[in-house]
Amino acid sequence: MEPVAITGIGIVSPAGLKKETFWANLKNCRCYVDQIKRFDTSFYPSRIAGQIYELDRYSNFPSRLIKKIDIFSHMALVATQQALEDAKIEMDSIDKNRVGVFTGNALGGWLFAETELRDMYMEGREGISPYMASAWFPAAAQGQITIYYGFKGYSKTIVADKASSNLAIWYGAKVILDKKNDYVICGGMEAPITPYALLCANTYGGLSKNNISPKTAYRPYDLYRDGMVLAEGSAMLVLESKESAVNRKVPIYGFIRGAGFSCDAYHRMRFSLNTEALEYAIEEAIKDSGFSKEGIDYICLDGESTLFGDMLEAKALRNVFGSKLENISLSAPKSMFGNMLGAQGAVDLVITLLSMKNNLVLPTVNFEEKDPYCDIDGTFNQPQERKINKALIISRGRGGINCVLAVEKGGGLW
Amino acid sequence: MVNKDEVLNVVAKVLKVKPQELIEDKTLYESVGVDSTEMVELVIALSKHFKVNIDTKEITKFSTPQKIVEVINSKKNE
Repeated sequence: MEPVAITGIGIVSPAGLKKETFWANLKNCRCYVDQIKRFDTSFYPSRIAGQIYELDRYSNFPSRLIKKIDIFSHMALVATQQALEDAKIEMDSIDKNRVGVFTGNALGGWLFAETELRDMYMEGREGISPYMASAWFPAAAQGQITIYYGFKGYSKTIVADKASSNLAIWYGAKVILDKKNDYVICGGMEAPITPYALLCANTYGGLSKNNISPKTAYRPYDLYRDGMVLAEGSAMLVLESKESAVNRKVPIYGFIRGAGFSCDAYHRMRFSLNTEALEYAIEEAIKDSGFSKEGIDYICLDGESTLFGDMLEAKALRNVFGSKLENISLSAPKSMFGNMLGAQGAVDLVITLLSMKNNLVLPTVNFEEKDPYCDIDGTFNQPQERKINKALIISRGRGGINCVLAVEKGGGLW
Repeated sequence: MVNKDEVLNVVAKVLKVKPQELIEDKTLYESVGVDSTEMVELVIALSKHFKVNIDTKEITKFSTPQKIVEVINSKKNE
């Protein structure tokens, strides 16, 4: 696939609400998972998450708009604003009919929906807010971004659990290559820390129950792992063609070079014990990007932190790369703040791009003892200096929706 | 008779705009750019505040603040 340039980054995460603070916090390997205190969680098996506390301080959107939208759309708007500023896009000079928004989201806006549904049952028809209809569904954030900025180009929302935003980014890149849009704002957003959404995530069973020690609960690839930790947040990126970025003389963070996809077609929740599907997706991404297996410097792992999730990912990587895997840095930096489900692919891409810029591989934290069934080594607990030119990002949705994105470092216009 | 300022204050509070932005002889759509969902919220809020039964067809985004006062007054007199 021809390269598509990434020129803007916006991030809203528990580890920071700007890319500079986000990077500084992650570099110091601090952990941002905490107990949930915003509602009574005493009957939930898992009561911990990465949460955002100061969104309003970083937001300058009018309160007339904020009251109509769910928090997940609000986070997406803040991230989009940062990304557009970062890409130095002048709103007056672009053709808004050729700007599209591609977002990935898995759950939708439950904070809005839950309160309004309760009011509907308590007070009847007039108790429900008229904005409910346009606030809760997964495509709401994409709609709000397009309305706020007046972007009228081809846009789409992809719902594919944890692979959502990587798929959205790939679709966005395809649209740029097909010359349907000049710019694509792509990424993901998720707000699962609400009573009902958390309950659903708990029922699924993949969450860590280490409520006593939240800071060390999310521990991918560790022998004592017991599940992932949820987080809320959003990451948005600006894509454009290489020529456009060069003409505008803006720094290019990196290039989307290819992607591979597959489905396990095995179970609605569990991954297939046969790792052929994930291996196929990784091979496809390598083939599509034209990378060689020796040339890849870094792989951002899915790191689901469940017994089978990590074991199967490790097995697939070992089967694809064999002994070449020793020369590749592997890590899941999301262990510092939690897994953002639908937004996680975009956040991983942001982490990978910032790692490329700063020549530093962020570690998987909370690692103590190696699991003998996970036959891979990675960057654990301490960051490692390394030049990263080519990287893969693995995202796996529940039931095995696999998406692997291939990324290359951008030009030297830092 | 309802007080005009009281009506304007309710409208401004629901729409989260300043009362000065609501111009008497301009429609809500022209002055503050309301949309249909905001109108649903506004009609419900006005009905509750003035304890009258207003239909969403009686006050629309093409109503002026003057018209809204008239509608509420006529409902009060019924």
